[in-house]
Amino acid sequence: MLQLIADGFVIGSVIALGAIGVTLVYSILRFANFAHGELLTWGAYLAWTALLGFAAVWGPMEPLGPFSFGWTLLASLGVAAIATAALALLVDLLLFRQLRRHGSAITLIMASFGAALVLRNLLQFIFGAVPEYYSREIQVAIRLVPRDVLGGLRITPDQLFVLGLTAVSVVGLHLFLTRTTLGKAMRATSINPQLAQVTGIDVDRVVRATWIIGAVLAAVAGVFSGLTVQLRPQLGLDLLLPLFAAAILGGIGSVYGAVAGGLIVGLAESLSVPIVGAEYRAATAFIVLIAILLIRPTGLFGERP
Amino acid sequence: MTALRVEALEAGYEPGLPIVRGASLSVESNEILAVLGPNGAGKSTLIKAIAGLVPVSAGRVLLHDREITGRAAHRLPHEGLGFVPQTENVFVNLSIDDNLDLAASILKVPKKRRLDKLYALFPDLARQRRLLAGRLSGGQRQMLAVARALVGEPKVLMLDEPSAGLSPKLVGIVFEKLVEVRATGVTIVLVEQNVKAALAIADRAAVLVEGSTRIVGTARELAKDPQVAALYLGHYRGDT
Ligand SMILES: Nc1ncnc2c1ncn2[C@@H]1O[C@H](COP(=O)(O)OP(=O)(O)O)[C@@H](O)[C@H]1O
Ligand SMILES: [Mg+2]
Repeated sequence: MLQLIADGFVIGSVIALGAIGVTLVYSILRFANFAHGELLTWGAYLAWTALLGFAAVWGPMEPLGPFSFGWTLLASLGVAAIATAALALLVDLLLFRQLRRHGSAITLIMASFGAALVLRNLLQFIFGAVPEYYSREIQVAIRLVPRDVLGGLRITPDQLFVLGLTAVSVVGLHLFLTRTTLGKAMRATSINPQLAQVTGIDVDRVVRATWIIGAVLAAVAGVFSGLTVQLRPQLGLDLLLPLFAAAILGGIGSVYGAVAGGLIVGLAESLSVPIVGAEYRAATAFIVLIAILLIRPTGLFGERP
Repeated sequence: MTALRVEALEAGYEPGLPIVRGASLSVESNEILAVLGPNGAGKSTLIKAIAGLVPVSAGRVLLHDREITGRAAHRLPHEGLGFVPQTENVFVNLSIDDNLDLAASILKVPKKRRLDKLYALFPDLARQRRLLAGRLSGGQRQMLAVARALVGEPKVLMLDEPSAGLSPKLVGIVFEKLVEVRATGVTIVLVEQNVKAALAIADRAAVLVEGSTRIVGTARELAKDPQVAALYLGHYRGDT
C-alpha cells in the first residue's frame, strides 16, 4: 500500500510537471495543446543526446553517490531544457503564431495534433524506436518503512531525486508567478488579455515566457520519465491522456490544480495496478478524466464556467 | 497645446470593413472632451483604435505631436496614454492593491509614491486595499479602473462609457472624480451615451455618427442646440 502510494507520487511528479505546461498554455493562449506530450519526449531524448556528447568528451558517466546518474546527466538536463524551450518557441513561431492571428480555437487544436504527429515521427526517425536508458547502473533501494508496516516502503535514490526536484520546480514556479513582474503579468494576461495590454503588458513576451516555462518543465518531466522508466518515442503520447486528465482535474488554467491533479492521477494509476493489472493502468487516467467531467467539469481549482 | 489629435481616422475589425470612417478630433491640454453619438456609432471602436486595440487602415493619431498611429496597445501606457475600457476594466481576481501594484511594476513607476497619491485621490479604495476587485460595487470598480489607468501618470486619459450601469447618483460621484483628475493636469477624452452628465463636465464635445465626426463644438453650444439633440442624440431630450 505505502509502496503503491510512493510509486504513485513518482509517476505523479512527471504528470504534474507536464500538466503545468498544458494548463499554462491553455490559460494564456486559450487552446488545448495536444503536442505538449511531444515536448516531454523531445526533452528526454535531447538530454540523452547531450549525455552521449558529454560521454564522448569526458568518458563514461560516473554515478554521483547513490544515484544511477552522474553530474553529466544534470548538465544534460540543463541543455535539454534550453533546447526544448527553443523547440517550443520554434513551433509557436512557425505554426501557432500564424494561426492565432486569424484562426479559431479549434484550428489551433487541430494544428497541435498535426504538430504532435510531425514531432513524434521526426523523433522516431532520428533516434529510432528501440528503448534507451540514461544509465544501466543498478541502484540499491533504500528501505524507509519495514515490510510489516502497511507492506513497507522502498525507494530508490533516483526516485527521491525526482520527488525533490519536482518540489523545487513547483516552489520555484510559485515564486516566479507571485513575486516577479513577468510572473504577475502572466497571471494578469490569463485573466484578461485586453486589459493586460492596456495596462502596458507585452502579451507577446508573456506568450514566449509561457512556452519557455512549459517546455522547461516538460524537459524535466521527460528526463524523469526516462530516468525512472525508460526512453521511448511513445513516452509523450502515452502521457498525453494523464496530462490532460491532471490539468482538467485540477481545473484547467490553474497551476496549483495541475500539480494536485498530476499527483492524484499518478496515485490513481499506481493504486489501480493491483486491481486491473499493469497493462491497463493507462486506462485509469481516462476513467479519472471521465469521472471529473461528469461530476465537476470545472475541476478542483477551476473558477471559469 | 494639443494633447491628442486624430486625423481622418479609419479603423475596423475586419479588413475592408471600416467601422470608424473619417473621424477627426483634437483635445487641448487639460481639457475634457466628450465624444457622443448614438449606440453603434463607432465610439468604442474609435477609442479602441486610438488605444491600439483595433487596426487602423487610414488616418493619423498624434499624442502631443508625436505620431502613435498603429502603435502596439501595450506601448501606449508607457507613452502617456491611459485607457479605461467600458467593461472588464479591472483584474477581478487581484486585490485593489495588486491591481495598482501590477500596473506600477509594468510601467516602472516609483510604487509607493504613486500609489499613495492615487489612494489620496480615491479614499474609498484606500480603505479596502486588500479587497478583491471582483467584490467591488459598480461605482468603486469604476474608480479602481480609473486609478489603474492613472498609475503611469498619463498625459491623456480616455474612458469608454464610465457611466454605464451606474445609478445617476454614482454617475455624479464618478464624474466629479474625473473633474478632480483633470485638476491634476490630465487631459480627458470621455466617450459617453449619458449626454447630459458628459456635457455637464466637458469643455468641448464631438458627435460621432456612422463612424465619422459630424459636429464639434463647446459643450455649452451642443447642450443648447435642440437640433443636435434631436438629430444625433435621440434619447437626450428626456431628462435622465
Ligand atoms: N469586436 C467586434 N467585432 C466586430 N464588429 C464589432 C465589434 N465591436 C463592435 N463592432 C461593430 O462596430 C459597430 C460600432 O460599435 P461600437 O464601436 O461598439 O459603437 P458604440 O460604442 O458607438 O456603441 C457596431 O456595428 C458593432 O456591431
Ligand atoms: Mg460603446
